[in-house]
Amino acid sequence: MSINLFVAVISIHSVILGFTSQQLETIYKKVSPSVALIQYSSEVMNQITGEVSRRDGNALGLIVSSDGLVMVPGFVETENIESFNFRVRIQINNEEKEFNATKLKKPDDINVLFLKIENKEGIKFPFVLFANDPQLRVGSAIAMVGVLGETLDNVRCITTAHIGAILEKPRLTYCIDENVRLGFVGAPVINEQGDVVGVIGFDLSKAEGGEVYTRSGHPLVYQYELFKKYLEEPPKIQLKEDEQEAWLGVITQPLTDDFAEYWGLPKEGGLIVATVVNPSPASECGLKVGDIITNFNGVPIHAKYDSDVTGFTKLVREAGAGNHVKIEILRDGTPMTLTTLLSNRPRRSYEAEEYEWESVGLTIREITPDLRIALSIDESVQGVFVYRVKSGSPAQVARLTRGFIIQSIGNYPISSIKEFKELAKVIDERKPKEITVFAKIGNISGFFRIQPRWGESE
Amino acid sequence: MKNKRRNLGYFFIVSWFTFFLLTQVNCATFSYGSVSQNKIFKAKEKVIPALVHLNPIKPVYTLGKKEEVIVIGSGFIISSDGYVITNEHVVGESKKVKCILSDKREVDADVIGTDPFTDIAVLKLPADEKYPYVVLGNSDKIDVGGIVFAMGSPHGLARSVSMGIISMTDRYLEDQRGVISMFNNFIQTDAAINQGNSGGPLVNLKGEVIGINSRMLIGAENVGFAIPINIAKEVVDSIIKTGKVQRGWVGINLQEMKAITEDMNQKGVVISDVEVDSPAYKAGIQSGDILVAVNNESIHARFQEDLPLVRKKLADLEPGKEAQLTVMRNGETKDFHLIPEVYSPYKGQEVEFTEWGFTASEITNEMLKRLRIPNRNGIYISGVQDGSIAKNSGLLAGDVILEFEKQPVNNLEQFLKLYQDAIETNKQKILLFVQRGVVTRFILIKDMKVDGLTIKGIEEKRRNSDEH
Repeated sequence: MSINLFVAVISIHSVILGFTSQQLETIYKKVSPSVALIQYSSEVMNQITGEVSRRDGNALGLIVSSDGLVMVPGFVETENIESFNFRVRIQINNEEKEFNATKLKKPDDINVLFLKIENKEGIKFPFVLFANDPQLRVGSAIAMVGVLGETLDNVRCITTAHIGAILEKPRLTYCIDENVRLGFVGAPVINEQGDVVGVIGFDLSKAEGGEVYTRSGHPLVYQYELFKKYLEEPPKIQLKEDEQEAWLGVITQPLTDDFAEYWGLPKEGGLIVATVVNPSPASECGLKVGDIITNFNGVPIHAKYDSDVTGFTKLVREAGAGNHVKIEILRDGTPMTLTTLLSNRPRRSYEAEEYEWESVGLTIREITPDLRIALSIDESVQGVFVYRVKSGSPAQVARLTRGFIIQSIGNYPISSIKEFKELAKVIDERKPKEITVFAKIGNISGFFRIQPRWGESE
Repeated sequence: MKNKRRNLGYFFIVSWFTFFLLTQVNCATFSYGSVSQNKIFKAKEKVIPALVHLNPIKPVYTLGKKEEVIVIGSGFIISSDGYVITNEHVVGESKKVKCILSDKREVDADVIGTDPFTDIAVLKLPADEKYPYVVLGNSDKIDVGGIVFAMGSPHGLARSVSMGIISMTDRYLEDQRGVISMFNNFIQTDAAINQGNSGGPLVNLKGEVIGINSRMLIGAENVGFAIPINIAKEVVDSIIKTGKVQRGWVGINLQEMKAITEDMNQKGVVISDVEVDSPAYKAGIQSGDILVAVNNESIHARFQEDLPLVRKKLADLEPGKEAQLTVMRNGETKDFHLIPEVYSPYKGQEVEFTEWGFTASEITNEMLKRLRIPNRNGIYISGVQDGSIAKNSGLLAGDVILEFEKQPVNNLEQFLKLYQDAIETNKQKILLFVQRGVVTRFILIKDMKVDGLTIKGIEEKRRNSDEH
């Protein structure tokens, strides 16, 4: 009698949660061996001062291949956080083992990072297999296997939640109905059928317009489809080399129905050219501000909302640098076709070339086109960007701060990082008592007298 | 051993105590000797009758709306016919200011003129009577340690007097939180200065006004600042005569010599920046040149606090009249002849565009320096109201309107005309082209519909129902 009652209770429970306790136990046993604890160190940069401090961190890692590919949440490495010294802790045969891991290049279309375990012994790691179709609807129950805190011996833990909302744009996005704890970011997500269908993530990636549409602070499910390609072909080991990415050099806005009506155009969408970067493939083919892009390389453009613009960026990228593309436009209502050669996107600020001039405590970077846009630096302004000023350094004593653009040192104008480096080397050899730097911030410029402490730095 | 230490400690306390008593006695002799209570009373008596409590209602532009706020400040009468000095930041753009005189009578004063660069304003009381007025002292002849009184209305508490000494005679305070004082240093004092003291007099023991209390360090104790009265005299004269202060503009920014050299013998001032298309720019002056003379009069600024005087010398050049600047470039002396222009105002004229729900101002040279605007083309959006047509159409504060229906926007006046035409002819859609940082964007201004009513409609409905 009492057993029957127990069963009845469970079945009611399962109606509410979508999972029976037995199911959860099965999932836990199946999935938790591939849930790893990642320990790492990182250098975090204060965005205002450029000051760097070192921190140790923990994160959840999900092993996704038997040879040791690990997927970790995107927050581990961002524009301001550079991480290193990765250790992966896994339970193998009830024993916690630690492995070193190498960081791979962070994908820019999904906010996750991949690590590769250094696996000299050829160990076969437990890993999760993902199912293609997430079968998630609003209200679907999901289970997650995460890691509890250090005080609880980082034991693996299973919990449940629901899909609370689904966004259609800019791509299919599943939102969870409640918050998750830190140890569950990156956790595998299991649907009611018991399939692993994705991982817990936050925020969209940069390429998805994550900067424009911040969905910060709310847990999402990154469905398998989004990172499938990286499991099939893992990213390369991170190198600071030129990225080959096609680029047109325009900033566009969608042709909303209102704009279409105003200009007397069909309400079919399109992209209004709002800014043309000069020089760029766009400026070379004569694309002008006010033109409306209706077709890019055979693909009709029907952008009507801000979220549609990111699709265009993707199209350009897929067309590939070094290829000729056909752009159909409307200029003052008249159709025209332009052809241009796509070039490589100029380096972006986060991958900009950097140089640390140790003797004065300055780290400088090249001024990339996106930095020009972000900081409203006019094309006519040449120099290098002060990225970091070391605390207590001669540069800080001279009151230089992050954000200045160094335009000359002594009587030598600086227009590239190469020139800066060469000059810095000469100065380091000659060891002058002081160095006069001319720098600009916004529309104000001035001289800074830096007195390196030569004796100390040697 | 322990005892000995305790004894030593005891001795120390005793000697400290004796010393304390001595200083106490000294203080007592001091205050009843050279500085007598009577002197303090006398100094106070000379100023209090001329002290004015100000209650201006000044227009402010905030979040895309023009609003009026009641502020409290202080001022003092400087002539029997009723001219009053106060701070520009107290009266702002108000035209009339409610004043409470020392006999507690309430009168309205006219704003004669203001000078944001020195933060000085001049008001005029009604001409129908003779007013008590203060004696202006000589702020060049003051010394650190001199006893001073701050008088005014701290936190609205009218006719308050606080006492302290001059902590520093020439404190350099350029560009602090957007408030600039290019042409003067400040007298620093520990006499308590609070909000509401602004515009009130800083008075010496003789009862002469040596400064205008105008700033304080928030979070600090007794660190207040007053504009030296000698700076004010010239500004006030000019405002009384012409209603404004005209300055000459050559278009150079300066830095102290210390910024480039420790050599005390190198005279002059560093030109850190030459503004594009300015008279200095056209004459060929370059950043990095050392300015050594203006109209053959040699100049020198070794430290930052020496800069205001040099800036003032340049600003004193008469617009339209040829001037000669002598600079050192690569060890050689060069003369440049140029014609100074009129210094552009500190603040641009600002206007609220009620129908669309935003405020905009003209772009001045000072704004170019402070805000990251590429050039002076267009008008600057200073604020956009929530729930307004402008906001719904995507206009943002900080945008610069470059084109209005394909016509280039040159200044506020021209834009205002285009705007008014559009409102009067009830145009449904207006295409703007704006600069946002270094990126440009099209914006279509249109009246959005909410519950079948346009925003204009909603406003009208509200207004009508208010009337009933």
